[in-house]
Amino acid sequence: MHGVRRARQTQEAIAAQKLKEKEKLQEYLSLTNDVLHRKKTNDFTQEALALTTRLLTANPEFYSIWNYRRDILTEGIFPQTSAKDVNDILLAELSLTMSFLRSHPKVYWIWNHRRWCLEHVPDDQGQQTIAWKQENWSKELYAVEKMLDADARNFHAWNYRRYVQASMPGKYSDADELKYTTKKIESNFSNFSAWHQRTKVLSSLWETGTLDMAASKDEEFELVKQALYVDPYDQSSWIYHRWLIGKGEDEGILKREIQVIEELSEVEPDCKWCLESLCHYKRLLLASFTHNEDQRIALVDACQSLLSRLQSIDPYRRNRYLELGEF
Amino acid sequence: MTSELLIPLHVKYIQSLDNHKDDLAYHLTTHLRINGIYWGLTSLCIMGHQDALPREEMIDFVMSCWDEKAGAFGPHPDHDAHLLSTLSAIQILATQKALDRIDVKRVTDFLLSLQTASGVFAGDRFGETDTRFTYCAVNALSLLGQLGKLEGDRKERAIEHIKQCRNFDGGFGSSVGAESHAGQIFVCVAALAILDRLEEVDVPTLAWWLSERQLPNGGLNGRPEKLEDVCYSFWVLSAMAILDKVTWIDAEKLTSFILSAQDTEGGGIADRPGDMVDVFHTHFGVAGLSLLGYPGLEDLDPVYCMPAKLIEEMGLRKQWTALERRKLP
Repeated sequence: MHGVRRARQTQEAIAAQKLKEKEKLQEYLSLTNDVLHRKKTNDFTQEALALTTRLLTANPEFYSIWNYRRDILTEGIFPQTSAKDVNDILLAELSLTMSFLRSHPKVYWIWNHRRWCLEHVPDDQGQQTIAWKQENWSKELYAVEKMLDADARNFHAWNYRRYVQASMPGKYSDADELKYTTKKIESNFSNFSAWHQRTKVLSSLWETGTLDMAASKDEEFELVKQALYVDPYDQSSWIYHRWLIGKGEDEGILKREIQVIEELSEVEPDCKWCLESLCHYKRLLLASFTHNEDQRIALVDACQSLLSRLQSIDPYRRNRYLELGEF
Repeated sequence: MTSELLIPLHVKYIQSLDNHKDDLAYHLTTHLRINGIYWGLTSLCIMGHQDALPREEMIDFVMSCWDEKAGAFGPHPDHDAHLLSTLSAIQILATQKALDRIDVKRVTDFLLSLQTASGVFAGDRFGETDTRFTYCAVNALSLLGQLGKLEGDRKERAIEHIKQCRNFDGGFGSSVGAESHAGQIFVCVAALAILDRLEEVDVPTLAWWLSERQLPNGGLNGRPEKLEDVCYSFWVLSAMAILDKVTWIDAEKLTSFILSAQDTEGGGIADRPGDMVDVFHTHFGVAGLSLLGYPGLEDLDPVYCMPAKLIEEMGLRKQWTALERRKLP
């Protein structure tokens, strides 16, 4: 149970509640018994299908009933149905599950059933199959955007979005996905799910040469800098910044970004993320770009002083800073 | 606000869970029944009250969840077999020292049949895949003494898939491309631990990310900029224990947070203070406290999420470090 407030009820209130529930409970139990009996005896009729709809409406987490429903469709219904009608049935399944998702956006079994529907569009109808798939998958992308509008961090929806993009005919372009993540980030800089998605999309765009990595990285540093200035206490953009820096292969970028953060740190002296990032990036400099002993000593000193400051302003992670100080 | 773990109250709460047959909510959660029993039993073991639930009745119930067609366990009689319920069944039987009741050959075949070409496991015959299911299969095979069957190419593919789910932040997601999430990190790190392949983990980066899950109120969240929740006490801490980094968060603050989520009248632990309790959060709260060295508790093995003594007796213990158990005042 997540986020349901605890209310202390009197014995009378509990008894009244149970009485009210009694009829509902009896109905649920007899429906469950009926459906499970039919399941056991391989009843693959329309009537059984309708009963699974009722039961799943009462309890969309009852995954064995979703399983049974799929068996009814493939064993009992589809064999005597035209390809077009099969596609229509699957579309109806998709709208049914959409209504369930609105009230249960995090139930794995509902998301699963959608995948199953999309994967069971009749495959042997040539052009018609392609048209159906195109239409169904585009609708799906729209549906998942609605889900992400309602909760921009729902990881079921993000995973599903990636799955839809990978599966739809005429592959969805990474460039379009980059725009989508920009939109999500601009509406809320704190949306780490969108920043994460951006790391995946940009990696792919750089790898395929669709985007020039150096120029694109500079734009990303600009974007994340805005986010850092809007709220330097939000982790999301700092973690993204760390992805952009990576192992710190580019000395110029590393030094430039250290300077950017030092400026921010002057304005926000108590912001632990500034200090923590500075320490991490200076350690990267230390590992790869110390050209003489004086520089080395200066960097170690700088890191030590950052770490000791971090120990006092971020005491929960004190032991981590102590360990990092063992050069 | 209370500063200690109310063990007798939680034991009573867990014992009472099966007395709600006239509640609709009880019947709406049958798909989680066997998992619920595993959570209840394991937390009782950690609180030193393994015998608070009747052993024979529990074993009989588990056996009544056997799905003859699939050759594995469902969560409740007449429900379909799934990896999630099969692992819980095996964990319960192992804890009750009743693994001899299992048809090991059939269950092993079921587990192995669910590995897909990419290496990840499906949850059942309908093919949903998730790194959670790889952990379930690896853990179950190990408890059954059948891990040797996941050999050569099978083992390498399972590991390769987990590696592909690793992100730049050191964490792991549920599938390739998915965002890091503390729950998925537990399953991936623990699976790698069982498979003796922890070198695939980027320890400094992951331990950094995990330590940043602790919020000012002491609780842990599961992803950046999300709310704290008692269950992450286990997901985050288990991975930290396996990486020997539990000290990277403030144990005292987390302990207080977990304790503050107790229902001091009815027993049980909630996701956060003031919310409704359930056996899932009770278990993961107690599990977290055990790893934090809370006095009077038994050790929990963070890899298998079972009593550590039992895992040791079975010869399955992997390397991990929890905080030293504090003495009762």
